[in-house]
Amino acid sequence: MIYLSQLANALVIGTLYALMSLGLSLIFGVLKLVNFSHGEFLMLGGYLYFLLAALKLPLPLALVLCIPLLFFVGLLVEKGFLRSPYQKKMARYDEYVILVTFALGIFLQNLALPIFGPYNRQAQPLFQGSVRLGELVIGADRLTGAIIAFFVIGGLLFFLYRTYYGKGLRAVAQNPAAASIVGIKVLRMRAVAFGLGITLAGVAGALFGPVFLVNPEMGTSFAVKAFVIVVLGGMGSIKGSIIGAYILAIVEIFGSIFLLDPSRALAYKDAYGLLLLVVVLILRPQGLFGEKERRA
Amino acid sequence: MYRKLVVSAIGFLFLFILIPGVNAQNVIKIGIVAPLSAPGGVETGQALVDGAKIAAEEINAGGGLLGKKLELVIGDTSGQPEKGTAVMERLITLDKVVAVGGEAHSSVALAEIEVAHRYGIPIVIAEAWSDSVTAKGYPEVFRLTVSNSLIYSKAATWIKDTGFKHVAVIGENSDWGLGVIQVFKDNLIAAGVKVTAMSAERTVTDFTPQLMQLKNMQPPVDFLVDGFTGAGELLMIKQAHQIGFAPSKNTAVLGAGMDTLYPNFWDTVGEAGVYVLSNPAGLSGIPKTSISEKFGKTFKTKLNREPDAVAMEGYDSVMVLAEAIKLKKSTAGKDIINGLENQVNWEGTRGTIKFNKEKNPPWAYHMWMDVPVFIIQYTKMKQDPSQAAILWPAKHATVKQYIRPPK
Repeated sequence: MIYLSQLANALVIGTLYALMSLGLSLIFGVLKLVNFSHGEFLMLGGYLYFLLAALKLPLPLALVLCIPLLFFVGLLVEKGFLRSPYQKKMARYDEYVILVTFALGIFLQNLALPIFGPYNRQAQPLFQGSVRLGELVIGADRLTGAIIAFFVIGGLLFFLYRTYYGKGLRAVAQNPAAASIVGIKVLRMRAVAFGLGITLAGVAGALFGPVFLVNPEMGTSFAVKAFVIVVLGGMGSIKGSIIGAYILAIVEIFGSIFLLDPSRALAYKDAYGLLLLVVVLILRPQGLFGEKERRA
Repeated sequence: MYRKLVVSAIGFLFLFILIPGVNAQNVIKIGIVAPLSAPGGVETGQALVDGAKIAAEEINAGGGLLGKKLELVIGDTSGQPEKGTAVMERLITLDKVVAVGGEAHSSVALAEIEVAHRYGIPIVIAEAWSDSVTAKGYPEVFRLTVSNSLIYSKAATWIKDTGFKHVAVIGENSDWGLGVIQVFKDNLIAAGVKVTAMSAERTVTDFTPQLMQLKNMQPPVDFLVDGFTGAGELLMIKQAHQIGFAPSKNTAVLGAGMDTLYPNFWDTVGEAGVYVLSNPAGLSGIPKTSISEKFGKTFKTKLNREPDAVAMEGYDSVMVLAEAIKLKKSTAGKDIINGLENQVNWEGTRGTIKFNKEKNPPWAYHMWMDVPVFIIQYTKMKQDPSQAAILWPAKHATVKQYIRPPK
């Protein structure tokens, strides 16, 4: 039963990890850029939900309101920092993106510090207490978070595979020039992808807030996990990110209870994911579901 | 015109150089090092600073130090040793502080004392508990809070005497956290109590897998020691309660870090905080003296809550440094050290502070050996530590024994 409980916890955490890493994967897939401020947008989502909930809005409404607000922030950032250099085919665009997203991350973290203070904040969960299924006990906050994350991921997959816009995004991800020839507005798709990526990170932050507390640095460790998941699953692969998230959660949890020396097992929790990543990259450099780079 | 411009510029430059210099002659600066941003224990750091500021205001209202104004220079260490080193370097070389007080993380304090030792600047550690801080034997380092060996040997004795049979300790991977694990092991295993110890990075946020493991252990774990600070301490209590492990009728939980002492504790853990045990190195109003009452009143007026142990330590650390400066009529590092070591016998908020000169055991060097230690237990939501049930020491106890939760 203990292992079933651990597995249930791993699946719950894995679902939240999947939501968090999908934004990073989507942005890389469509815009071909690595968003180094992903963790800070996750933190922004955490605070946004915390603030809206503190305003006594009904909690589901507070969560839903986060979506358009975060999407709007994503559009603003894309328009303000990324669009023009891309349009002008700026030399060293990739390096520019690394620097600008890094700087944005540092800025957001340092902005959060004076505005919200350095304290740990408890965002209100939709449901409190715990859920019991016989011997299986799981926190209601994380279970609710995982269920919402599950539906958000489902909605995203429906959007990407069943709607015109979603297909457009995938077309731009595969070949922007060809997509442009068939009439897809590449710039618009890039903006939508960035907005969606930021929204996914932020919603993950809003769901993490009630479970793991909100503070200006909350995004840092989650961002590292998101990078591990995205590289593990294959850069830009949606399927890879989802499966990679579950693999990471299972490896972290079972690694920290099965290590021969239990007194140190938890100390290496973050290392298990990185170790797994190294092994996968040695055996399959493109990640589990990534495509091999085509070389001329 | 050009010449006038150059002359004016040079004039301004001189003003900028001279004004701080003139000002510095009328000011005595004391540095305060504290974690004021994550991943450090921010609540603890803020309490330290709040207490220290009250001390400085009180000194300045009474005419200052040696006829000069006392100025506190606050340095945020974020609970990170490398930042602690950098902050100490800045305080000593740039801000020219004559002494330093504060700190709440042992690993940071251990980095800071190296800088203090190199420059011969006295440092009064207010809230870092690792034995090594004073065991290094540096003449510049004093401590007016407990050490791990001092407090947890007493806590371990209380645990054994109360009848707990299997103690689990989850400690952070820091000098303090690993020290907590070691002292519990040393004191309990010899007394026949089973100890299961685990260590983890300070950044860990999910303890559920380990707590589930402990919940299913045989013999059952009946006492959990939460050896974390900051978010980790709060999350462990919250998650232990969520899975029905602790605090419960079967398992008690001791929050060894100081984050159990602040109002934010209740905002984050909610009902999980009821029946949690804590071990503050001081309680407001004990002993009941004019100084403790005066400090309590001022703190309550300013911050609208009872002062906690850490705020009292922040206040006391500035006050003992000021006392040494007054006694020696000097701000030279060696004089302050001499004053602290040989002359200071100052009545603080938690008793009369006097530093020990013996080095046996090594951690006892420059410690205040009579520092008060309590084991308290919250009995209702949003309870202030000063209102919680005192379980130990017997002379201050408000209840006869540990209060077992009903479910």
